[in-house]
Amino acid sequence: MAVDESGRNYTHPVYGYAESLPGADLFLTKADEFLTWGLKNALWVFPMATSCCGIEFMAAACSRFDMDRIGSIARGTPRQCDVMIIAGTITVKMAPRVKKLWDQMPEPKWAIAMGSCAISGDFYRDIYSVVPGVDTFMPVDVYVPGCPPNPDDLLMGMRRLQEKITQVRAGTWVEPELAPDTAGFKRPEIGRLGDPDRDPRTSQDQLDSVLNLGIHGEATRAPQADE
Amino acid sequence: MIVDHPDTAAWVAERFGWQTADPELGPQVPADQLVALATALRDELDFAYVVYCVAVHYPAEDEIQPKFKEGEEPPPVIPAKPDRCLVTYRVRRLGPGTTTFGFHLWVPTGETCPSLVDVWAGMDWQEREQYDLVGVVFDGHPDLRRIMMSEDWPGHPLRRDYAIDTRHHPWR
Amino acid sequence: MAVTPSPTPEPATQRVGGLELPVELLRPAWGDPYLDLDDYDAESDVMALNLGPQHPSTHGVLRVKLFMDGEVCVRAVPYLGYLHRGVEKLCEKLSYANVTPIVDKNDYVSPMMNELAINMTFEKLMGCEPPPRAQVIRTIVAELQRVASHLLWVGTFCLDIGGAIGGGASAFMHTFRERELILEIFEELTGCRFHYNHHTVGGQRHDIPAGWDTLVKQTLDHIERRTFEYEDMLTENPVFKARTIGVGVVDPKLAMACGVSGPVLRASGGDHDLRRDAPYAAYDRVDVDVQVRTEGDIYARYLLRLAELRESIRIVRCLIDDIPEGPICALKAVKLPGAVKPKPGFAYTAIESPRGELGTFVVAGPGKRGKGGPNPYRCKIRPPSYHVLSLLPYIAPGENLSDIIAILGSLDPIMGEADR
Repeated sequence: MAVDESGRNYTHPVYGYAESLPGADLFLTKADEFLTWGLKNALWVFPMATSCCGIEFMAAACSRFDMDRIGSIARGTPRQCDVMIIAGTITVKMAPRVKKLWDQMPEPKWAIAMGSCAISGDFYRDIYSVVPGVDTFMPVDVYVPGCPPNPDDLLMGMRRLQEKITQVRAGTWVEPELAPDTAGFKRPEIGRLGDPDRDPRTSQDQLDSVLNLGIHGEATRAPQADE
Repeated sequence: MIVDHPDTAAWVAERFGWQTADPELGPQVPADQLVALATALRDELDFAYVVYCVAVHYPAEDEIQPKFKEGEEPPPVIPAKPDRCLVTYRVRRLGPGTTTFGFHLWVPTGETCPSLVDVWAGMDWQEREQYDLVGVVFDGHPDLRRIMMSEDWPGHPLRRDYAIDTRHHPWR
Repeated sequence: MAVTPSPTPEPATQRVGGLELPVELLRPAWGDPYLDLDDYDAESDVMALNLGPQHPSTHGVLRVKLFMDGEVCVRAVPYLGYLHRGVEKLCEKLSYANVTPIVDKNDYVSPMMNELAINMTFEKLMGCEPPPRAQVIRTIVAELQRVASHLLWVGTFCLDIGGAIGGGASAFMHTFRERELILEIFEELTGCRFHYNHHTVGGQRHDIPAGWDTLVKQTLDHIERRTFEYEDMLTENPVFKARTIGVGVVDPKLAMACGVSGPVLRASGGDHDLRRDAPYAAYDRVDVDVQVRTEGDIYARYLLRLAELRESIRIVRCLIDDIPEGPICALKAVKLPGAVKPKPGFAYTAIESPRGELGTFVVAGPGKRGKGGPNPYRCKIRPPSYHVLSLLPYIAPGENLSDIIAILGSLDPIMGEADR
């Protein structure tokens, strides 16, 4: 059955009719596996390369580590891409733009947070202008740790993403538990997406900030109630 | 007249009368003579290359009475200092005997510092950055607005009283 | 009858700011960064084109608002700060030994340069000299880093000019293959491919392993042979020449006023290199042959960087066989918090990074009891990329859009450094 990146089933009248025909299950499962094979081996990448991890991303795309052998190529526009690799620190000024580009990507889409800055903000997480991890405003599928991660590790991350795609589309994906907070680890105060104790207005405010960008916009804050 | 003067600090002392206490910081320049000094450095001593313009914020300090033992003369009181910024410049003369020359001035908070954009074009962005991060206002700058932070950012981050982990809803 | 050709006359020069600059590059008027568009008489409407913070050419997050009159730019307004990570504020919270891995990330293409610059300033504040072995290792590592940085520049510049799918990607693949070899050398020395944390106050953290010099010599022989491959691909390539010759000429007087040095100034006739004129580390033992060109366009900058690459290889070869024995760090126990406490004062040092003059100005505060604290009071990094970008509003007006992309590539800004 066709699923999107959050595991919801697509429903389609033709597909629903085809499923009801006798003997269709086997054929449709095989057809689905074939489509999944095509999808996961041709993941076109949108590199959101802000800083140093961008250089390692480029090294991963070059001849020694070669992302093209797993079907991935870097494209400049989000409209043509399946995977967004956030490589580098995301600052408060850049965050609405990253969210806008993520929203512009057509589904199905996945995100890989490459490097500590994208995962949690690294040692910049307490600084006034740095977003403490990209999962505070967009869903992340694979986290690739490192500062910067080896290009080998990035390719391993893409491999994990391929496994995840296969399992999600087959319906066998189990969402892993987020690691419990170990001593000393400071969770981002703004809350990660999916945190139960996150302020429900935050996502809406982030979206308002993105919509407020406009052509010349410099907005980083959501428009306040009295503005 | 271009002079490859070996000792710029001595030239400045002779021409303007300002002494140099710290060789890295250079002479302290009164605000109304800053542009005159800059023009002289550029035209007569050939310092045409901008190295930096840095502002350092010093918060206000109370008056300090140093401790003394009974029977001794009380040492002089260290006076209170207002909230102020140290604006320090450095320029360089290129070529085989490349040297740098620095000069500085103290700008109390609330006062402005004259801009050196007309003397060296590179001071433009330097002054914008120091205005953005430290809050020193440069008088005569054509377009003094924020460069690093976004235009609606409250506060000046590199001041000593700005908390490093300031929240900024809805992103952090 | 043989006719001896008359020698080409030396270009006429004028002395500006201590340098003899070619007169034909000095222009009376530059583009106006504050052009008032209401007064500008356009052939049609002026269009604002946003070269946004995310664009496929790999300069990081830079936004330039271009006001275009048709295909020609009339005003360029760069916007920075999309990668402002507050490094200067963070340095005020850290001890002197802990600052090195932070500034590693500024100029993320040549991390050794950032480390060298800031640790030289800390040593000036402390008044200590690194031992001779450390000085030589610093020089070797800095020149290897320069090779790696210029290789990356050639690759990404060709990506900008040729496109990510088309011809540009060929040179990109070639130069990154060589750059991987240099990263292997650094991995042997420090353990990391990137962000080495190798320099420290008073010297180095890692000593040279056995067999490292053989590895370096073999790698450099290989890379030098490959530079001729790049020349074959690019130097006489008619498309490359058509896009770069005569494009983006930079007035050296403007460059100096904006604080631009490095390959951009040297390609416009400014004979200035801190390695030769104000030597630091072990550069006084080596004769640095400073490459200078007088055309000032993008082609000149390309040829200059390639020549500098070869010059760096030659410098490393001079030094690699004669590394003096001895300790690698002047201060023991640097990592203990509070071990490095310079007296209150100010210091500025500058090095020649692949982009120009990279300097650090550090204010050592009084700390408790006025004897110096364990953290810097203010750490200002003087990045060459920031100054090079301030050149853009002056040289972009009058150029076509595709030329502006090529110019931006040839100026070689790194946003991590420009924004800090």
